[in-house]
Amino acid sequence: MASKRVANEGLPVIAHFEVRRRNYLASDGSIDRPLPPFATDAKLLVGLYRAMVLLRLFDRKAVALQRTGRLGTYAVSLGQEAVSVGIASAMREEDVLLPSYRDNGALIWRGVKLEEILLFWGGDERGNRFSGPVHDFPFCVPVGSQAPHAAGVAYAFKLRREPRVAVCMFGDGATSKGDVYEAMNFAGVHKLPVVFVATNNQWAISVPLRLQTGCETLAQKAIAAGFAGEQIDGCDAVAVHAAAEEAIAAARDGKGPRFIEAVTYRLGDHTTSDDASRYRSADEVQAHWKEEPITRLRTYLVGQKMWTKADEEQLAAECHERIEAAVERYLTMEPRRPETIFDHLYADLPEAYAVQRRELAGENDA
Amino acid sequence: MPEVTLVEAINLALARAMEDDPGVLVLGEDVGVDGGVFRATVGLQKRFGSERVLDTPLAELLISGLCVGMAVQGLKPVGEIQFMGFLYPCLDQLVNHASRMRNRTQGRVTCPMVLRTPHGAGIRAPEHHSESTEAMLAHIPGLRVVMPSSPERAYGLLLAAIRDPDPVVFLEPTRLYRAVKGEVEDNGESLPLDLAFVQKEGRDITLISWGAMLKETMAAADALSAEGIAAEVIDLATIKPYDEDTLLGSVAKTGRCVIVHEAARTGGFGAEIAALIAERGLSSLLAPVTRVTGYDTVVPMARLEQHYMPSVERIVTAARKVCQFS
Amino acid sequence: MRQFTLPDLGEGLEEAEIVSWYVSEGDHVVTDQPLLSVETDKAVVEIPSPSNGRVAHLFGTKGDIVKVGMPLVEFAEGAERDTGTVVGELGGGEAAQAAGIHSARPTGQELRVFPAVRALASKLGVALELVDGTGAGGTITRADVERAARSMSHSGPAEPLRGMRRAMAQRMAASHAEIAPATVTDEADIDDWRQGEDATIRLARAIAAACKAEPALNAWYDSATGERRLIERVDLGIAVDTEGGLIVPVLRNVAERGVPDLRAGLDRLRADAIARSIPPEELRGATITLSNFGMIGGRFANLIIVPPQTAIVGAGRISQRVVVHRGQPAVRRTLPLSLTFDHRVVTGGEAARFLVALKSDLERIS
Repeated sequence: MASKRVANEGLPVIAHFEVRRRNYLASDGSIDRPLPPFATDAKLLVGLYRAMVLLRLFDRKAVALQRTGRLGTYAVSLGQEAVSVGIASAMREEDVLLPSYRDNGALIWRGVKLEEILLFWGGDERGNRFSGPVHDFPFCVPVGSQAPHAAGVAYAFKLRREPRVAVCMFGDGATSKGDVYEAMNFAGVHKLPVVFVATNNQWAISVPLRLQTGCETLAQKAIAAGFAGEQIDGCDAVAVHAAAEEAIAAARDGKGPRFIEAVTYRLGDHTTSDDASRYRSADEVQAHWKEEPITRLRTYLVGQKMWTKADEEQLAAECHERIEAAVERYLTMEPRRPETIFDHLYADLPEAYAVQRRELAGENDA
Repeated sequence: MPEVTLVEAINLALARAMEDDPGVLVLGEDVGVDGGVFRATVGLQKRFGSERVLDTPLAELLISGLCVGMAVQGLKPVGEIQFMGFLYPCLDQLVNHASRMRNRTQGRVTCPMVLRTPHGAGIRAPEHHSESTEAMLAHIPGLRVVMPSSPERAYGLLLAAIRDPDPVVFLEPTRLYRAVKGEVEDNGESLPLDLAFVQKEGRDITLISWGAMLKETMAAADALSAEGIAAEVIDLATIKPYDEDTLLGSVAKTGRCVIVHEAARTGGFGAEIAALIAERGLSSLLAPVTRVTGYDTVVPMARLEQHYMPSVERIVTAARKVCQFS
Repeated sequence: MRQFTLPDLGEGLEEAEIVSWYVSEGDHVVTDQPLLSVETDKAVVEIPSPSNGRVAHLFGTKGDIVKVGMPLVEFAEGAERDTGTVVGELGGGEAAQAAGIHSARPTGQELRVFPAVRALASKLGVALELVDGTGAGGTITRADVERAARSMSHSGPAEPLRGMRRAMAQRMAASHAEIAPATVTDEADIDDWRQGEDATIRLARAIAAACKAEPALNAWYDSATGERRLIERVDLGIAVDTEGGLIVPVLRNVAERGVPDLRAGLDRLRADAIARSIPPEELRGATITLSNFGMIGGRFANLIIVPPQTAIVGAGRISQRVVVHRGQPAVRRTLPLSLTFDHRVVTGGEAARFLVALKSDLERIS
């Protein structure tokens, strides 16, 4: 007869974890808890706001271009603008950004030109040869595969004793990938100066979060890799900037890697070829509109008298002008000659391939 | 000049590279304290420290991804994958990143990394430790694939690979690690990449091979010369990009070609060479281009391994048959 | 399902309040039909339907604030939004190619000669069809080609037969294949001919006389039908040796023409033959042929009969011989005679009698 076992038998707990959730502004723009010191810096906050608006308007234009056959597949950041903008706003220029393919806000903040983003999605490699810091990584399409790169970059910083931080951004789907865990694991072993940011917009194309992980948070995956993870309200630009500032500073200071889970919502389709209504209800989407980041921050700014209607109109005009100018440059850009596909294949093109290049250029006679 | 084994030559080259360039790193499983399971990295951690010679977690994808990140940052990482059978998780990083970083960013970002791994069968190892899938890698644009066949070439080619501004997969013939000795001067001089080496000159038939099979191919050449057939033996050395001119020049001279590789027949790199000769060397042919290869099977486990490998006899028989055509 | 979202209202306006709906769920609407009115800070605006369709769902009611980009109406029909992909564009709708016939395995062809050997043969002028291959599988080796080249160097160059020579080759082969020839010979004592007698004329008249005596040798035989035609008129083919080769013009109706007429005809034929100006009709229709090869040399011969003829007479060189004349040895001029006949159609007796008649006529004093 089996004896009943007492649950746990009084076994000592040898490890436990906690994950905190950070937010400052509530959905309606009101203050939920005391704001961090930088919140008085109108310039910074307005800067975040302007960047988010630009991003959203740029996305809208990009979609219009795609729908009229002048851009390829495009991925909008609708609903999650605060994350990419907020994270980039806390980085220094000498830090390295390793973005996913839905982090245009960070790229633009760090100096990538709008027309360069259009070139990328328009199918031209010149879009990856973008402006901004030369050490930043290009768009990463194989999900999560840039995480090991981030660990390698951070290792280089540590080896060379440089006070620089690698910031690696990916989505909730990426956290299911071995690449991400392997990178985080290594970063934890060596206490590398890297911040992993998971933009949890709750959808990986059509796969919802509940099918992506059994964890209550993504942040706790850092625990398994040996460092701290924090969940933040990704629709609160103030929270994003605050969390990024703190994590990047800690990493720079030799305190090791950090993980930020920014919870937000993908209000748009996965890409312009996707129709999200196939797998989620319009009611659900509509409900999440109530949390979206731009209205939230504007409400706060207006309430703090940091932003007026005139400012709004002027911003719209400026964005429109800037976007239109970029689109014009994109549409009128000189196309590349076909044989340039061989350029930059190796440092020096081996003759066997130079022959092919000449053939494509129409230079060979046979 | 000292005589060293192939694996010792690798060790010398790594040490030399690390001495000359503080940006060179070695990383992989068991490479540090243990000096590598084949002792290829023995003594390096002691000499250069654990920051530059690091024992990574058991994660091949990570090793190759770390190399990408480090290389983009301007370091010269030399990752070790313990056996080619464990290289496959690295394919994502090699194909999707390392090989195309330069091209997809139009030169803004480059990736000068090296991934080393033991290649081939013949050491009676457990399964999965005997892979020779270099043809898979040779297919990837933007990558270099290099395979030495001797201590001297291992030293010179590895130095060249580390110094090259583009990614290189360096395949080391496992069964030659200790089986061959050669004179290697540790002078820091590299050998040229992208060039084949004429191991032995001859007028009657061209034998092309690479890696460990050079040993059998040379033995076959000796046997053939006793029968009055003068074979020219070429070591391909760099599988990608490969030296078309040397191969075509030799076939133009001899009119007969046998390609030897232990990798499986179908889609093996011999097929690429045969296609090249058919396209550009047909008029000099006196006989069909022939391949002596591993069979289209999984590499057998130790008991039957030697039946899979091309033997000296198989090479000689093929060469004789080729010589009877015209 | 198609969704219609709140369009950009312009002037930097981000949201509007629903004033009233003009349609209900289930209604059919057409393009530009007003769907609802919304109020912005500036005005009340009517929003038209972008297309035809049936309203499946309305989002929001009077008083709700809707943001730009938020769904307003969901239309029921149209799966057009399903691109069937998540990136790029998938074309579609082309009929697949008709399934080909499954071909039988082709048999390999033995390559008898390799490219380098072929090139060598071409260089040495060796015809590969004439070379036996001694290599593996019957392939032609370099040594084979070289050997062939050496043996060919003792012979003159290959020249294809043309014209009369070609015609002769074909005619003789055809005759040999068909006819069953037999030859009987004799000699005519022509010592009593007067001076300057034209041998050809005498022979022609003698043949005519022999044909009269034995008509079986002036006939045509059709081996296909097995039919023989005896011919009354003697049209004598006369073999003429010209520079170009052998031609056989026909001297018509020899039996009924006088000597001067025959002589004139013969001279004309000879001249035309040498000038190669004989019309083709003059070469056809011979009923029996004379080969006066004796004009060049030789005594007796087995000659070739040209179908449908059944006989050919050969006259050898006239020479002085020691013969028995009137019981005594004497030196007399003799003319050797050969008669080759088609033994399918002509009996030995007929041939012998013909020859006797021929000889007898020749031995007459003119």
